[in-house]
Amino acid sequence: MLGAYAVGKTSLVQRYVQSIYTDKYLTTVGVKIDKKPVQVGDTEVNLLLWDIQGDDGVEKLRSSYIRGASGYLLVIDGTRAATLDTAHDVQAFVDKEIGLIPFVVAINKADLIEEWQITPVQIEELIARGWLVQHTSAKSGQGVEQAFSTLAERIMEK
Amino acid sequence: MSDRTASGATAETAPEKPTSTTKETAGKPAATNGAPVLSAGAFDELRSLLVGPEQQTLTDLQQRVSELPSAVADVLPQAVKHSARENSNLSDAMLPLTEENIENSVKRNPRILADALFPIIGPATRKAIAEALGQMVQSLNQTLEHSISVQGLKWRIEAARTGKSFAEVVMLHTLLYRVEQVFLIHRETGLLLQHVAAPGVITQDADMVSGMMTAIQDFVQDSFQGREENQAGTLNTLKVGELTVWIEPGPKAVLAAVIRGNAPEDLRLVFHQTLEKIHTDLSRELKKFEGDTAHFESVRPELETCLQVQYDAAKDAAKPKKRIKPLHVIGAVLLLAVLVFGFLWIREYRRWSNYVTRLQTEPGLVLISAERGWTKYYVRGLRDPLAAEPQKFVVDAGLDPDKVVAAWEPYHALSAEFVLRRAQHALQPPDTVHLSYQDGVLDAAGIASKEWIAESRILARALPGVTTYHDENVVETGRQQFALIRQTLEKMVVRFQDNSTQFVSGQESEINKLVAGIQQLHDLGPKVTREFRIQIIGHTDTTGTENVNLQLSRDRAEVIRALLEAKLGSAANLEVLAAGTSAPLRTELSDQDREFNRSVTIKVFVTY
Repeated sequence: MLGAYAVGKTSLVQRYVQSIYTDKYLTTVGVKIDKKPVQVGDTEVNLLLWDIQGDDGVEKLRSSYIRGASGYLLVIDGTRAATLDTAHDVQAFVDKEIGLIPFVVAINKADLIEEWQITPVQIEELIARGWLVQHTSAKSGQGVEQAFSTLAERIMEK
Repeated sequence: MSDRTASGATAETAPEKPTSTTKETAGKPAATNGAPVLSAGAFDELRSLLVGPEQQTLTDLQQRVSELPSAVADVLPQAVKHSARENSNLSDAMLPLTEENIENSVKRNPRILADALFPIIGPATRKAIAEALGQMVQSLNQTLEHSISVQGLKWRIEAARTGKSFAEVVMLHTLLYRVEQVFLIHRETGLLLQHVAAPGVITQDADMVSGMMTAIQDFVQDSFQGREENQAGTLNTLKVGELTVWIEPGPKAVLAAVIRGNAPEDLRLVFHQTLEKIHTDLSRELKKFEGDTAHFESVRPELETCLQVQYDAAKDAAKPKKRIKPLHVIGAVLLLAVLVFGFLWIREYRRWSNYVTRLQTEPGLVLISAERGWTKYYVRGLRDPLAAEPQKFVVDAGLDPDKVVAAWEPYHALSAEFVLRRAQHALQPPDTVHLSYQDGVLDAAGIASKEWIAESRILARALPGVTTYHDENVVETGRQQFALIRQTLEKMVVRFQDNSTQFVSGQESEINKLVAGIQQLHDLGPKVTREFRIQIIGHTDTTGTENVNLQLSRDRAEVIRALLEAKLGSAANLEVLAAGTSAPLRTELSDQDREFNRSVTIKVFVTY
């Protein structure tokens, strides 16, 4: 799970793994690891989710945490335009550090879509770059399952 | 190395040359033998005609041979790289040579290799020494820690008993540990390759634990070591409560062992060897790992062995001591039973002896025999009927009355106490009589009825142990009363006026008392077999003449007699005595004394 600070990485993991959501914000320190079995085609695989502490830049992103990753979910907060920039930086950083690996962009907080700062045009641009984009809401659960299963499929395709 | 390869290459190409030259030289002698001798120029020409092309080839070959070392040198590094990538043939082939070379090098000049190894040997030695010291400190700490406690004392005793050193005993007790889980983690991805747990150990999701451990490892490395991986300082111990996690890093995989208790440092060696073996056996799988752990199923026995060996070695030695065997339980029960029965037996014995002692010392009881049977006690003896009830002692001693079979024959005890008791019992003296006994003499003293006195005289003679009976000090009840009235009467004084037979005022009541007293004596007398007469004595003071006084005293007595006779009748048996001044009641020192002496008194004479 990569992305800026407070975009909802931990909430997405909680919603996905334990099907719960809480409004309370708890910042992740370092990394938290969860596991979720997921069916891809005929095979069942285990997703080991490293929920990594978010930051507004990539300066503090530890390459050791992403080394060995099979893929990642790049999380953006739809209500904060700046998180999109962070996502770009993060993507570039990962590319540089460990090469091109599958990822899915999750634009979170879909339940607050009226307040979104990220415009449909910007989203179109992302799709145009060949990125897989998924609207998600950890609060309502919308798109969460799809985001993770798409990522799992992409990893397995590779 | 390159020398040998180069020479090898020359050896391969070399055979071509001799074969071609043999052909030539084989033809040459034939020609020389058959033809006439040619000039040198012609011979050269002929030779160039005959073997010109071969000569050229030969020259080319010679040139190629001379060029070969540089050509091989060009391809050799690539060839070696290629070979190492494809298989281990080259490495296998070169291994003996390398070993030999090293050996030769050391023989020739050890300094070269020593210099080369110096940067490695330094840290390696330091590490080995540090680890050895670490172990020593660990055991020293344990020794110190346990040397003062109660347990330490116990272990000291054990050390003295078994002849082992104290440190050894401490180690034996403290190094109880169990390797509960072993994780084999892929270093690059942090994914779990294989996981084994000791039986009965509750485990968390191993995949997540593995991930977490990798994250911690990464975190520590990033935080404290910087990014240079060559420094290779890795986290190798985690402590979580009673659990210790030992992490053994390898180039491709990490082995993490969860240990409960204190494991000895040499256990690391076991982990290290296991990890090495896994690296050797599965180097390809480790290198190409992409998330499929199926290949690593085969390392399970490896990991399990590591788990079990450690688990058994420490635990087996400790277990038998802790386990309670049925034999111990039976032994303890038997011991308890013996103790309880012993206690009960001793208590019963003490009660019995107390009872027997009591019987022996109790007056009025003569114990003839006292025996203990299997379940009952038998007591036989003599008992004075007045002695204490022996059955009471059974209860007092705490014995079961049903268990004591007693046979008591009655007898008369002749001790002073019992003779007296028997006398009390037989004579039933009234409360006013006191009995005492000494040396066969029974003494009675006090006031009793005439009948009791008479009866006791007869009974006392029949009492066992009584040879003499004294009752002189027992006064008949009636006579006692008689004596009292007599005393009262004799103390009474009827007083008269000076030189007159007229009473002093207020004497009437005295006279009435006198009458009543005499009347009582008359009533009582016959009952107590007392006969008596009453003398009325007249007195005067010393004034006046003797004759006059004598007459006056007679007159005064006569007055009283007349009065008494008037009340009591002539049978009163009264006589008169004129004492005059001869028997004054008081010595006359004052007028009061004189007044007192003008009086009449009474005396009672008991005649029988």
